[in-house]
Amino acid sequence: MDILILGILLGGSYALMALGLQLQYGVARIMNLANGEVLVAGSFGAFWFWTGLKLSPFLSIVPAALLAFAANWLVYRYVLRPLVRRAKSHGQLEVDSILATFGMSFILVGVMIAVFGGEYFSYSYLARPFEIFGQPYGLNRIVAFGGSAVLCIVLALWLTRSRTGLALRGVAVNPTAAGLVGIDVLKASALAFALGGAVTATGGALLSAFLTFDASLGVIFTMKALIIIIFGGVSDIRGAIVASFILGIVESAVARLIDPGLTLAAAYILFIAVLLWRPQGLFGRKSA
Amino acid sequence: MLEVRNLSVFYGQHHAVEDASVTVGADEIVVMLGANGAGKSTLIRSIAGLAPARPGCSIRMDGEEIAALPPHEIVEKGIALVPEDRGIFGDLTVDENLTLGAFPDRARGAEAANRERIYALFPVLKERRRQAVRTMSGGEQQMVAIGRAIMSAPSILLLDEPSLGLSPLLCRDLFRALAEIRTQGVGIFLVEQNSKQSLAIADRGYLLENGHVVGADSAANLLADEAVSRSYLGAGEA
Ligand SMILES: Nc1ncnc2c1ncn2[C@@H]1O[C@H](COP(=O)(O)OP(=O)(O)OP(=O)(O)O)[C@@H](O)[C@H]1O
Ligand SMILES: [Mg+2]
Repeated sequence: MDILILGILLGGSYALMALGLQLQYGVARIMNLANGEVLVAGSFGAFWFWTGLKLSPFLSIVPAALLAFAANWLVYRYVLRPLVRRAKSHGQLEVDSILATFGMSFILVGVMIAVFGGEYFSYSYLARPFEIFGQPYGLNRIVAFGGSAVLCIVLALWLTRSRTGLALRGVAVNPTAAGLVGIDVLKASALAFALGGAVTATGGALLSAFLTFDASLGVIFTMKALIIIIFGGVSDIRGAIVASFILGIVESAVARLIDPGLTLAAAYILFIAVLLWRPQGLFGRKSA
Repeated sequence: MLEVRNLSVFYGQHHAVEDASVTVGADEIVVMLGANGAGKSTLIRSIAGLAPARPGCSIRMDGEEIAALPPHEIVEKGIALVPEDRGIFGDLTVDENLTLGAFPDRARGAEAANRERIYALFPVLKERRRQAVRTMSGGEQQMVAIGRAIMSAPSILLLDEPSLGLSPLLCRDLFRALAEIRTQGVGIFLVEQNSKQSLAIADRGYLLENGHVVGADSAANLLADEAVSRSYLGAGEA
């Protein structure tokens, strides 16, 4: 039971990071390998808010989201858009963007080590027990889960109900048709990429409330986000959220029942199993 | 009024369309006939901004030059394309497809009225409004495609082989719908491989061969022409 609850609490934060990558990969069609570093940058932001400014780390979400939005927009506009324009095919853009963002991930790791140092970081905020069904859980985990649940719901509603959200989904499904209905696809992609970065950084700030992290942890989160969106579907919000919970539950089960060191291995096994048996994602044919 | 003058489109060294001139008036139906590979799709896609025209070509919409504009700006000028692959959003519902069709600024004001127009034209779309479009039949998808284009409030509607893959019965309904749309003041330009039915509803027609416009006449004359029947309308039936 408590494995299930821990897994769901963890999965909530994963969902935010997965939605971030979905916006970047599904809509803007950039496989962003620096996604995890943006997440860790969000964690550092929260850490600095709490230890440096003595402000609630959850308050760091607002400036972190704005900053990540602006930075990701600039990266799309000046680094990635030339690649999009040049690419003759979807495959070529995929390769180019993987190389470019892989390079960027190293730059980000380097900057974070230079600023904060290479050791492990964690802080203690709301580290009080909170009881669910008679079992104690860290209050920080529960608040982080609540925050990401609210954000996921707001984002999902925006994507399904608003005109701009619908336009982004249109670009994800069929970019050529999107142009034909008057959507400026490059602008929409820049928006999706920037928004994806903001969502991911927010996820990082929330995760840091209960997770120990260091500057080079990003690649692991990139992998997890990838596993989730391949599992859940590249442009399927519902699939990504369910997949996040499954990954969270599998990880906490393995950590509790077998060995905490094996969580990543378990995630990979899940990933390979999905690739072998359900490459089209949880809810059938959903990718564009 | 759409005026295409001396349009040339090359793919590398390959001349897909050369020196083609076409006009479509605000309330006419104009058909362009051509065999496989004649360059029909290239020509129509180039008008919509999907295939780059050679510099120096002129495409004017109501007198305004649009040849170098990207697709999303061309829709705003009143030209909507239903491409050969239909250009619909398969994972989205019928309603969402129609809403996206009304994305251009020019279409926002008439969104509700246009939606009613489409439901009146294709009642089945109203019944299926919450269905994902990719799960619909080919004929229904073609209705969504045309509906999506009409939602953009076009003055000129471009269609690339709308009858492709439809049964004769569905084709008849489709061409009836197009004739109906024309009466609402929309000019229609469609390219077809060999369709007597398309000529039957059309005012004028062009013949395209190897990227060149090789003939232009009234639809009635083209229908009556023996040589045209033999090369474009299927010799077997003649
Ligand atoms: N993207 C492309 N790259 C290179 N050549 C192309 C491309 N698209 C079309 N062509 C070539 O241009 C010519 C015209 O093609 P187009 O698709 O316009 O013909 P079409 O008249 O629409 O044929 P169909 O009736 O089969 O649809 C063909 O020879 C085709 O091979
Ligand atoms: Mg064609």
